[in-house]
Amino acid sequence: AALKGGMRFQVSAALREGRVTPTELCQRCLSRIKTTKFLNAYITVAEETALKQAEESEERYRRGQPLGVLDGIPIAVKDNFNTAGIETTCASNMLKGYISPYNATVVQKLLDQGAVLLGKTNLDEFAMGSGSTDGVFGPVRNPWSYSRQYKERSDPKSHSEDEESNWVITGGSSGGSAAAVSSFTCFAALGSDTGGSTRNPAAHCGVVGLKPTYGLISRHGLIPLVNSMDVPGILTRCVDDAAVVLGSLAGHDPKDSTTVQDNFKSFELPNLTDVSKLSIGIPKEYHAPGLSSEILSLWSKAADLFKNAGAKVMEVSLPHTRYSIVCYHVLCTAEVASNMARFDGLEYGHRSGMNKSTEIMYAATRREGFNDVVRGRILSGNYFLLKQNYENYFIKAQKVRRLIADDFVKVFGSGVDILLTPTTLSDAVPYMEFIKEDNRTRSAQDDILTQAANMAGLPAINVPTALSQRGLPVGLQFIGRSFQEKQLLTVAKWFEKQVKFPTIQLEEVKRHNHDISQHQKSASFS
Amino acid sequence: WVPVVGLEIHAQISSNSKLFSGSQVQFAAPPNSLVSFFDASLPGTLPVLNRRCVEAAVMTGLALNCSINKKSLFDRKHYFYADLPAGYQITQQRVPIAVNGSLSYSLCVDNKMSQMVTKTVRIKQIQLEQDSGKSLHDDTRSQTLVDLNRAGVGLMEVVMEPDMCCGEEAAAAVRELQLILQTLGSSQAVMAEGQLRVDANVSVHHPGEPYGVRTEVKNINSVRFLAKAVDYEIQRQIEELENGGTILNETRAFDSKLGCTVPMRDKEGKQDYRFMPEPNLPPLILYDAKSLPANMNHQQVVNIDWIHERLPDLPSVKRAKLVEQYGILPEHSFTLL
Repeated sequence: AALKGGMRFQVSAALREGRVTPTELCQRCLSRIKTTKFLNAYITVAEETALKQAEESEERYRRGQPLGVLDGIPIAVKDNFNTAGIETTCASNMLKGYISPYNATVVQKLLDQGAVLLGKTNLDEFAMGSGSTDGVFGPVRNPWSYSRQYKERSDPKSHSEDEESNWVITGGSSGGSAAAVSSFTCFAALGSDTGGSTRNPAAHCGVVGLKPTYGLISRHGLIPLVNSMDVPGILTRCVDDAAVVLGSLAGHDPKDSTTVQDNFKSFELPNLTDVSKLSIGIPKEYHAPGLSSEILSLWSKAADLFKNAGAKVMEVSLPHTRYSIVCYHVLCTAEVASNMARFDGLEYGHRSGMNKSTEIMYAATRREGFNDVVRGRILSGNYFLLKQNYENYFIKAQKVRRLIADDFVKVFGSGVDILLTPTTLSDAVPYMEFIKEDNRTRSAQDDILTQAANMAGLPAINVPTALSQRGLPVGLQFIGRSFQEKQLLTVAKWFEKQVKFPTIQLEEVKRHNHDISQHQKSASFS
Repeated sequence: WVPVVGLEIHAQISSNSKLFSGSQVQFAAPPNSLVSFFDASLPGTLPVLNRRCVEAAVMTGLALNCSINKKSLFDRKHYFYADLPAGYQITQQRVPIAVNGSLSYSLCVDNKMSQMVTKTVRIKQIQLEQDSGKSLHDDTRSQTLVDLNRAGVGLMEVVMEPDMCCGEEAAAAVRELQLILQTLGSSQAVMAEGQLRVDANVSVHHPGEPYGVRTEVKNINSVRFLAKAVDYEIQRQIEELENGGTILNETRAFDSKLGCTVPMRDKEGKQDYRFMPEPNLPPLILYDAKSLPANMNHQQVVNIDWIHERLPDLPSVKRAKLVEQYGILPEHSFTLL
């Protein structure tokens, strides 16, 4: 039961009161990681260091001096964050075996608060993708594929044999982190969000996924995809927990010149009861082509929920939404081409054995180290940055980006507090179906509802809302004003309370390569 | 024939640490002993601007009568080379920190110290940028040795317009610049230690006709060699053209042993550097007494006026004072300073 609880009020209290110790908690999570290995959510499990951190935490609790709410809490970190002494691969051959000599600022902050780092989670290679299927360590499986809820509603023809091929994706690119939180292996995980990479898998895995305002949380140590859009993302099982993690991470970092200088005031999330002063905007352009009727209906129900509770709900327009995919494509690939230039095999990472000349070594290293997706984006990006193309593509895209950002400014300036939109077009698709289209097509489709928030640097959050007809999670997204995370999370928390999203009922899965112990049976499932 | 000479001068900023990282700046340290994670381009590291380097550039800009841009920008210039770990250099291509200045220098007329003439060269701009590392090619062992100690050291690139006409003028301008930089303390400007590097752009044309094709001359290790290289190149171009040949827009290296310029190893075609704004550095905002917000202390910002007030006497001023105080001849003041 301890594993399932929220951090803020349940587990932390249990730790403080001694009902459970940090080492017990850590061990349970580690063993849970072992039994859910088939999900492929983790690339590296740092068992030794985690247990050591748990012991140190336990000592602090014994002395009655815990560092805070996060002390002793097991967490996981997406494998594109630098972790000192622990392999950081970005799910790429280019960084296989790369042991970072420093901690990302966000990792350091969590460790300074006493959090226990269980391991590094799986992702699309270099965070490029929307399925967590394109990393060198293989795809991540959505824990809900093995839930009673999904199995009950799936085609009776597909019995346990086809389970192998029926499993659904987590979404991406922070799929490992989402799956890790969703399957109770940790209480919170770090992801990254550039075009929706935290919110998308959060929606598919039924967890809370927060994208903070750009500039609020340090990117020092986050291996960049698009420097002007990347943010560290927070994945938790409830909104309160997301607020706790946000409070420990936010604030100026001298090592990251794009973080704002203003002092961050950490906050307690109020329990909102009266929404009558709230103004919710429903952007009509987010009724995007391909949006499932199920999600459309849920979105509508959610709007009614607010209306019936007394909030002002109105349709608004973000007219440049439809240009965001193309705009994102140009700006993202351009920055990717630039950011990936450092991977030449010279100072670190993979180095090819073909070394007749420096040029040959560079070319071979990069061909061997990067997958198709990465190489494709580098090529595109370099094309857009050529002198003869720069004005027509890069500069044009920057202008369109400004228009997209201004759409939000206008809407928020007209009295709207929060925007309510779907997070994804549908529930999670089976892996076999997902891979029928290439990464670029999928990314373009899946990013449409999440990406504009990255363009505009705004905070946004996925809140799990209901189960689809297939028994899989569907989430809805709230987008807030810059640096107004308190308001955003307060509204999200209210909504979370209203919808009462069900807990995943994970079946025990009899796999030939797992031993099932009595301990496992009693530890977790209801 | 009218020779036209312009110069691109890279001056290493005299500072304790590098332009965007905290590692030390020091000449002749053991290889790769002054390399931070950022200098080595370790993934996830970010640039943090060194305030001292900004001040050095502002001082230099003021001393060269430039307009200081209160808002300047940083860009990435991409190319692949072993001494450039990130695959790009951070520089200022769109809006540099200082523009439109001038430098006055003096020459002896007819090699006699008795008559000096003052000339002026326009300063197009000064930009802040990163220095690269050093690579040594060991052909016998088919390997390249890379030392990143110098990678990331701050540079001021000073661009002098093609207002000069011969090696002597170029040399005199560079000498005066060296003195100024040394007086300011913004760079030690010793060419032998690589703290000052000069590339010359040379072309020739007939009076009244448009400028000729120019060549860039690199690998010049002293002020004396600068004069030689420029004069050689001017002669070479004149001879080439008079023999009916054409000048290629190419880069040539000065061979100090032979005293001539030779084409550098062929860089296939023209490089497209794919310039892109540096997304990790916000625009550099400088203030003056008027624009300084009331609640900011001067520790947090760079105040152009504050720097201006504290500029030391430049060489030209010192010479004038010597002449006035001691009644010496202007020519002699140049010997002293």
